[in-house]
Order: sequence, then structure tokens, then C-alpha cells
Amino acid sequence: MSRIAIIGVGHSKFGKRSDASLRELAFEAYSSALDDADIESSRIDGSVVCSATHYDKQRSPAGVVAEYLGLNPQPTFNIEAACASSAVGLRTAWALVSSKLHNVIAVVGVQKMTELSNEEIQELMGRAGDVMWESPFGTTMPAYYAMYATAHMAKYGTTEEQMALVPVKNRKYGSKNPNAMFQKPITIEEVLKSRPISAPLKLFDCCANADGAACLIVTNAEKARKLTDRPVWVAGLGLASSPMSLAERKGPMTSFEVTKNAAKAAYKMARISPNDVDVAEVHDSFSITEILNYEDLGFAKPGGGTRLLEKGETELGGKIPVNVDGGLISKGHPVGATGASQLFALAKQLRGEAGSTQVDGAKIGVAQNIGGIGMYSAVTILRA
Amino acid sequence: MGFEKFGRFGYVSQTKINPLLSYLEKGQIAATKCEKCGRTYFPPRADCLDDRHSALEWVVLDGKSNLVTFTKVFFAPPAFQPETPYLLGLAELSNGLRVFAPISASVEEKQLKPGKEMNLKAAKGARDNLFYWLE
Ligand SMILES: CC(C)(COP(=O)(O)OP(=O)(O)OC[C@H]1O[C@@H](n2cnc3c(N)ncnc32)[C@H](O)[C@@H]1OP(=O)(O)O)[C@@H](O)C(=O)NCCC(=O)NCCS
Ligand SMILES: [Zn+2]
Repeated sequence: MSRIAIIGVGHSKFGKRSDASLRELAFEAYSSALDDADIESSRIDGSVVCSATHYDKQRSPAGVVAEYLGLNPQPTFNIEAACASSAVGLRTAWALVSSKLHNVIAVVGVQKMTELSNEEIQELMGRAGDVMWESPFGTTMPAYYAMYATAHMAKYGTTEEQMALVPVKNRKYGSKNPNAMFQKPITIEEVLKSRPISAPLKLFDCCANADGAACLIVTNAEKARKLTDRPVWVAGLGLASSPMSLAERKGPMTSFEVTKNAAKAAYKMARISPNDVDVAEVHDSFSITEILNYEDLGFAKPGGGTRLLEKGETELGGKIPVNVDGGLISKGHPVGATGASQLFALAKQLRGEAGSTQVDGAKIGVAQNIGGIGMYSAVTILRA
Repeated sequence: MGFEKFGRFGYVSQTKINPLLSYLEKGQIAATKCEKCGRTYFPPRADCLDDRHSALEWVVLDGKSNLVTFTKVFFAPPAFQPETPYLLGLAELSNGLRVFAPISASVEEKQLKPGKEMNLKAAKGARDNLFYWLE
């Protein structure tokens, strides 16, 4: 299989960025990725712009992003897979470079959300569920994930206190991430006392809508060796789909088949097992999502995700540190940028540049990125 | 009559399964059934998944079901705010098919747990909108 590398990563500050437009956010991430790769913009022969465009005022944002970044007349286009857009962007770049159609691609994940109210955003998110059979009843993303939480609680005895361990852990690490939207740790009591959003999920169980961008520079092995002495290799790419409507899914609704399928494909391609993973970024859109992801990625057995948390195994120093950049819960979730933000964090870890949250000797990292209510899931394995 | 009448606030106005509305109007829950292979679809589909046959007949379902999971929504999209908080559920019908539906406002959250026996019933909203819910 062809070897494809990430040779540069960039990240804007995430959050309520009332100071910046979509194109300017994209520039922040792109410019810092070029600096990181230490290459000129002229080397980029195509851009893949990843955004769930219904949240942006700009329609077809690839057009304006490529223009603002100075990437005309090279090819550009948009990739949309809801919250998994930029993980799918990396997959696209992998194919473009492996096929030799392109040499160096910029994957730009970007989202400008906060020009809409949270209510308007949740209306759009509810329509990322089945618009004929579910959205007409008032669905929201928190509502969908809350239904998984209710089922997990009923089947495995999972409690709200256990779920609260996720935001407490992630906000602790988020306090060390200057790009994060929230940089203040929170306590279990604060999580439990926060207002209900969609029971059993409360405010601090949820990620927040945000503006932001993250960028990955992707190239082939030959160019990577010439351009950098610290490439990060794309070792495994898994992507799967599930029915969009909840009613078409089987079983007790305590796990995501889509993530299990994506993980299987990624582990197989990378020829590793979950035990080999040194550091992980999982999609903690909600506290319950992180717990399900532990189980679906094979870090814990079904129902065992909460034990992993209680034993501190997903903390720094634990068996498998997860979301030590703060996760979506601290960083905020600018939908199209999140997948690239996870890969940014893994690249830093694998290059040994993660500072106070460095996982010692990390060689293999896994990122897992769910799209919408789990109709898409991407699992990406990177190697130092 | 457009399909936007379906639900508490409908988005889709044009579809081949419009006849569902007349069943709901009569207080019935109806599914489609493939005339070729007999597979039943609920929510109704216009096209059979197994054999791509597109002649489907309507059959009336009984609403007996078991709750799979549920949530109580406190933060709602603008169109749904007047009724907030409200309950949403996923239930399994006696024929094994599942339905995503609101739970009737007369049901209390405390009474709910996965596995609970429920009934899927046709309902009519204040704007003459038609839907079904779990009671
Ligand atoms: C949970 C949610 C509905 C809250 O929105 P809201 O009630 O409009 O909140 P507001 O914007 O009024 O914020 C009130 C305060 O809470 C904070 N806040 C908002 N959302 C927060 C969150 N998810 N976590 C922590 N703090 C949050 C705000 O920063 C603000 O703090 P301040 O008073 O110190 O400025 C919103 O964050 C949301 O939609 N989250 C989910 C996003 C989502 O579903 N993404 C897709 C996942 S797959
Ligand atoms: Zn058929």
C-alpha cells in the first residue's frame, strides 16, 4: 500500500470567534500548517475544504477559501460528512495523493457557526437526522445521543455521575490547550448541577458550537522524506456508514455499529489491534459518546467504558490516554474542523511536541470522528 | 394536501407515500407491503429494498410496541419551543419494525424505561397536522 504522510499541521483558536470570518479562520490554520511544514504555499497543488456548509453563511466555501489562501487555479472542492467532514477530507487527500493525481494537498477543516444562535444550529442539526421521519418531531443532536445514553444506563447501569467523569477529565486537559474554547476545569458537582439539555444529558455533558479551523498538509513518501524529517504516517483509514434513521438500526442502542465497522477496517489496514494504541482522540460530542467510543474502538468491552474512566486508564499516565488535548468538550466543536483538530493533536503527540500533555513515547495514535448521529464514522490511525 | 402536514413541524412536502396521511386522518397507522415479496415497511417506503419492486400496498398496523429508549428534550429548535420540554422515543412494534416517535404529553418521564409496553396511536395537532405518538 502506498505510504502517505502528514507533513504539516495547523490550528486556529476555537471558540466564539466574533473577530474572524470563515476565510480568515481558514487562513489561520493554513498559514500555521505551512509554517509547521516549512514549505511555501506554491507547493500545494490542490485543496480539500471540509465543512458542513449549512452552518456557514458562505455557500460552497471551497471557492472563497481557495481564493483567500491563494490556491487558485489549483483544484478545490468541498467535503461534507457532518462532524466527520475533515476525517473524510484526509481520506480524500490520501486517495488523491496515492493515485498520483496530486502531490501535496491541503486539507482545510473550517466552520463558522456562531453567526447562528444555538437554537438555529440545533434545528439544522436535528435535520441531520432523517428529515421525513424524525426531524418533524423536534430532534436535536443532544436528543439523539441522549437516547443512546438512556439505553446504556438501562442495560449496563451506567450513571450520570460516571458520565460526568468524561467532561471532568477533558476539561482538565482543555485547561492546558491554548486553542480550546473552555480552559477552566470543572467538577463532577458542576456537571451534575448543570441545566438539562436533553435528559440525561446536561449542559456540561455537551460540546459547544464554535468557530474554528484546522489544517493538514498531506503528501507521498518520496516528497515527505525530502520536505521534512518528522513525517507522521497515515497507517490506517476506516470509514463506514449506518442508516441515518434510528429506527433502521438494530440492537439495544448501546453502541455504534458504524464505529465498530470503521475501526475494524482501520486496524486491519494498519495491522494493529486496540492494545497497540498509545494515544487516542475520540469524538466526545457528548459525555456518553466518549464512553461508547471506548467500547466500539475495543479499548473496553461492551458496558466496560465507565470502568476505564473510573480507573483513570484514559488519563495521562493510564493505559490509553484519550482526548488529552481537551476533546470537543473543551475545544468546542466547529463541525467541519473537528476531525482535522483531532489529527493535529495526534500529529503533535507522535512528534513528541505535545508539551505538558505529552504521552511518553507515543508511536501509534487513533482518531475517531463520528458524523451526525452516526451515519458516518471515521477511524484514522497515525504512526510516528 | 402536502406531506408537510406530517409531524409536529414537517419539512418535506412532496413524497410518494402521501396516503399515510389519510390513514392517520382515520386514526390508523399504516405501513407499506411489497406486492412481490411481502416485506413490510414502516415508516412506509415507496420502493422495496429487497427486489426494487415499486408496487406496494398499504396495510394497517396495530400499534403494540415496546420502548427501546427515550429522552426528554429541554433545549429545542425554535419551531418546537412552545411544547418544550417534550419526550421522544424509539419503540419496537410487534412485527419487529422500529418507530421513532414522540411520546404523548400525558405520559410522565418517571413512568418510562426501556422495555416498557407502549401503544403507537395516530394523533392530530393544533394546526390540523397529523402524526403518531407513543402512549
Ligand atoms: C448545549 C447547548 C444547547 C447550550 O446552548 P445555550 O443554552 O444556547 O447556551 P448559551 O450560548 O446561552 O451559553 C450560556 C453559557 O454556557 C456556556 N456554554 C454553552 N454551551 C456550552 C457547552 N456545551 N459546554 C459548556 N459551556 C457551554 C456559554 O459559553 C455561556 O457561558 P457564559 O455565560 O459564561 O458566557 C449548545 O452548547 C449546543 O447546542 N451544544 C451541542 C452541540 C452539538 O450538538 N454538536 C454536534 C455534536 S455531534
Ligand atoms: Zn419486495
